[in-house]
Amino acid sequence: MIPATAPRDRGEASDAELLAATAAGDHGSFSALVERYQTRFFAVARRMLGDDAEAEDAVQTALLRIYRGASAYRDDWRPSTWLYRVLTNVCIDLWRKRSRRREKAAGPGTQPTVPLADRVDVDRALGRLPPEARAILLLCYVEDLSYGEIARIRGISVNTVKTQLGRAKRAMRHHLNEANP
Amino acid sequence: MTPRTHDDRLRELLDPPAPPAGFAERALRAVRERDQRGDGALRFDIAASNAGVARLRPGTGRTEADSWRARALAGQAREQLAEYMQGLRSFFTVPVDLSAVAPFQRSVLDATATIPFGEVRSYRWIAERIGCVKAVRAVGIALGRNPVSIVVPCHRVLRTDGSLGGYALGLELKTCLLDLERETPALVGADTTRIVCRHGCPDEQRIGERHRVVFSSLREARAAGYRACRRCRPVDA
Repeated sequence: MIPATAPRDRGEASDAELLAATAAGDHGSFSALVERYQTRFFAVARRMLGDDAEAEDAVQTALLRIYRGASAYRDDWRPSTWLYRVLTNVCIDLWRKRSRRREKAAGPGTQPTVPLADRVDVDRALGRLPPEARAILLLCYVEDLSYGEIARIRGISVNTVKTQLGRAKRAMRHHLNEANP
Repeated sequence: MTPRTHDDRLRELLDPPAPPAGFAERALRAVRERDQRGDGALRFDIAASNAGVARLRPGTGRTEADSWRARALAGQAREQLAEYMQGLRSFFTVPVDLSAVAPFQRSVLDATATIPFGEVRSYRWIAERIGCVKAVRAVGIALGRNPVSIVVPCHRVLRTDGSLGGYALGLELKTCLLDLERETPALVGADTTRIVCRHGCPDEQRIGERHRVVFSSLREARAAGYRACRRCRPVDA
C-alpha cells in the first residue's frame, strides 16, 4: 500500500516531495529518486574512485544512507545538496580506506600508487589529487554546480571552494601535460 | 593555453561514462536487502551528546544531536546496532553518556555493562556487585529505565530462577536478543596467528573462512593457546 504522502505522479514530483515520501516508507518514490539521480551519482563516484565496480559500491552505500536517513533531511537545504553531500562523503571515506589498505600492503616508505585508475590518463591525474579537491572539481565540472552549492555540500566556505578548485585545476593541467607532453 | 580552453578541455576529459546496464535496479535491490537486514536497528531513535549516546529507543529512525561530533556518535551507534542485530558484532565501541542518570542507576548500569556477550546474570548478582544486597527490586526498576538499552545490555539480566523478568522494550525483544546472542559467536580466532578477536573487530574480517575458530570466552581461547587481539581487547568478566 502506498502511504497517503506519496506523490500521485512520481515523475513530476520534486526531489523534496520524493524524499518526504521515502521517509514515510514509500519505496516507489525512492525508486523514482534513484532513477533521477543514477547517472549523476555514477558520474561523480566513477570519477572519484576511478573504477566501475567501486563506483557502484559507493553509490549503493550512499543510497542506503539516503534511504535510511530520509527522515533526517531538513528543507533548509536543497535536496540535491544533501544527496551530493552523502555521496561525496561516502566516496572520500572509501578512497581513504583504500589508500590505507594500499599503504599497509605496500609497507612503509613506498609511494601510494593509483590502482585501477592507470588505464586512463584522466583517472590517473584525478587519482593524484587529494580526495577533497577531487570532489570539488567533479561537482564543478561534471555536475555544473555553483560555488555556493559546492560549499554547502562539502561544509566549507565559498572562498575555500575557489582556492581548492584553482589548485585542483592547476594540478590537473600539470598531470595531464606530464602524461601527454 | 588560456584558462578558458583549459576549462573546456577539463570538462571534455571529465565527461564520465554512462552507468553500466542494470545499474539502478542493482542499486535498489542492494539497498532493500541491506536495509531489511539491519531494519530493526535503523528504526531506533537515537539521541547523542558530545560525550556519547544518551538515549536509544525503538521509533522511526530519528537522530537527536546538536553538534557534528554528537551526530557522528549517533551514526556510529546506529551502524554498530545494525551490525549487532545482524549477528555481525558482539560488542559496542561507541561511548554512552549517562550524565543525566542518577548515581544509583548509574552504578547498576555500570555493573550491567560488564556482563559479557552471550552470558546472563541475575538481578541479585547486580545488587551484590554494587554492594546493595537488599536492593534487588530497585535494581529491576533501574534497569527498566535504562536509557541506552542493548548498548548497556540489560537484556542479559534475568530472575534468579532463570525466568525472563521484565524488559522495557517488551519481552519479545528480550527473548529475541538472548536468542541472537546464543547463535552469534562472541570471540573468533585465527588458527594461523593464534590471535582471538571479539566478533566484529576489523581484524577479524581478515580471517579466512577456513581458519576461523569460534570461542565463547577468553579463558577457553587461552586454554587453546590463543592470545587476545590488541585492537579489540577481549576480556573475561
